[in-house]
Amino acid sequence: MDINLTPILTSWPFLLKALGMTIFVSVMSTALGFVIGTLVGALRTYGGRMTNVMLGFYVDSMRAIPLLVILVWTFFAFPLLIGASINAVTAGIAGLGLHLGAYVSETIRAGLTSVRRNQMQAALALGMSRFQAIRTIILPQAIIRMLPALGSLFVIAIKDSAIASVIAVPELLRQTQIVAGKTFRPFELYTAAMLAYFILCYPVARGVDRLYRRFSHLGSS
Amino acid sequence: MTAAPILVFENVVKRYGALTALAGVSLTLHRGEVVCLIGPSGSGKSTLLRCANALDPLDQGRISFDGHEVRSSEASVRLVRQRMGMVFQNFELFPHLTVLRNVTIGPTTVLKLGQAEADARARKLLAKVGLADKETSHPSALSGGQQQRVAIARALAMEPALMLFDEPTSALDPETIGEVLSVMKTLADEGMTMLVVTHEMDFARRVANRVAVFDKGRVIEEGTPQEIFTAPKVPRTRDFLSHLGWHGESK
Repeated sequence: MDINLTPILTSWPFLLKALGMTIFVSVMSTALGFVIGTLVGALRTYGGRMTNVMLGFYVDSMRAIPLLVILVWTFFAFPLLIGASINAVTAGIAGLGLHLGAYVSETIRAGLTSVRRNQMQAALALGMSRFQAIRTIILPQAIIRMLPALGSLFVIAIKDSAIASVIAVPELLRQTQIVAGKTFRPFELYTAAMLAYFILCYPVARGVDRLYRRFSHLGSS
Repeated sequence: MTAAPILVFENVVKRYGALTALAGVSLTLHRGEVVCLIGPSGSGKSTLLRCANALDPLDQGRISFDGHEVRSSEASVRLVRQRMGMVFQNFELFPHLTVLRNVTIGPTTVLKLGQAEADARARKLLAKVGLADKETSHPSALSGGQQQRVAIARALAMEPALMLFDEPTSALDPETIGEVLSVMKTLADEGMTMLVVTHEMDFARRVANRVAVFDKGRVIEEGTPQEIFTAPKVPRTRDFLSHLGWHGESK
């Protein structure tokens, strides 16, 4: 098999832009997922029984439906429901974020319940409201404790952004497919894409690990 | 005692399921007074403290603080807690915050004090408990005695009218108990009103104005340290003290 790197050399600006889109979609969907996950996790931990049941349904359904199906539904079916079209990037970020949020919420919930009960009591004894206590005392400890798990979810979010290629989000995999199709050099292009994902994700995984080793002592009450 | 009552327990009953932790406790704490609660483990001393600032709700009876009933309405309870400092057996410092931030977080979050003002207040208190040099440390870097002194500073930063101590030295190594007790003694000397659950009989004898002896959820005897430690009237008190190796007048 002969290797021809010309297609990569000629279309690198196009692919670099695609990589930028991958990063953008990953970061935005992670941000959305972490906001949803933190809210849902906290509400399920401290809210009433009804809240817990209702949000539990959200979490379970996100875990029961394939991400691919969620993305396709968000892009092709949801617009029919609301009678307006949404662009692929928005649909991709929304679908990925909603899906990720379910997993983040379970992680946050585990973190919150792992913080010793007396930490809440100590915060309340200072005169804090429950909300203040959760925000300033319990949640920060929970997040520190759950850093490795949350870091894994971030890496998963980067990797899963590739699934958004099916709804034509112009991210790395989608654009690589386009170039590979045009140049008939799938081996070189898909190998390059694989390497790009690795180079993107590996430092994130390592970085979170280092962060955790540095800060883990702050999470143990 | 001529001072006004600040904390009054009237026939307080607290149950945990089938267990009756407090079986009708009445006790009055006056301004400037130090009252020590002693008695065997599980006799309800700590529960009484937790009821005082409504960390545990009552089943029966009434607690009033500074003339107002401590109820379980969220807003009024928060006001009461702001004015009642609490020190826990296991310190319960906030591990993710520096020593300084542990002390300032109450004033800044609850009293909405500015950071600079809170910092100044905290530094003064850390100096008072002998930990001025530790303000940038995190709790995990401190010994148990140091952590408990920070916890005292944290409670004092709210400028409370009353301090509750829940077995503040029970989780400490013997060599660090003294440093915590001496901080508490200083507070008492300065006129702080204190309700102290303790197994440190020597502290109770030297510092308390009054001692209340608990057994099975009741106050079985109450009096000056002199009365309790030299001439206990109730046989169960004598029994309890002798189990601790206390035989009437000593030292």
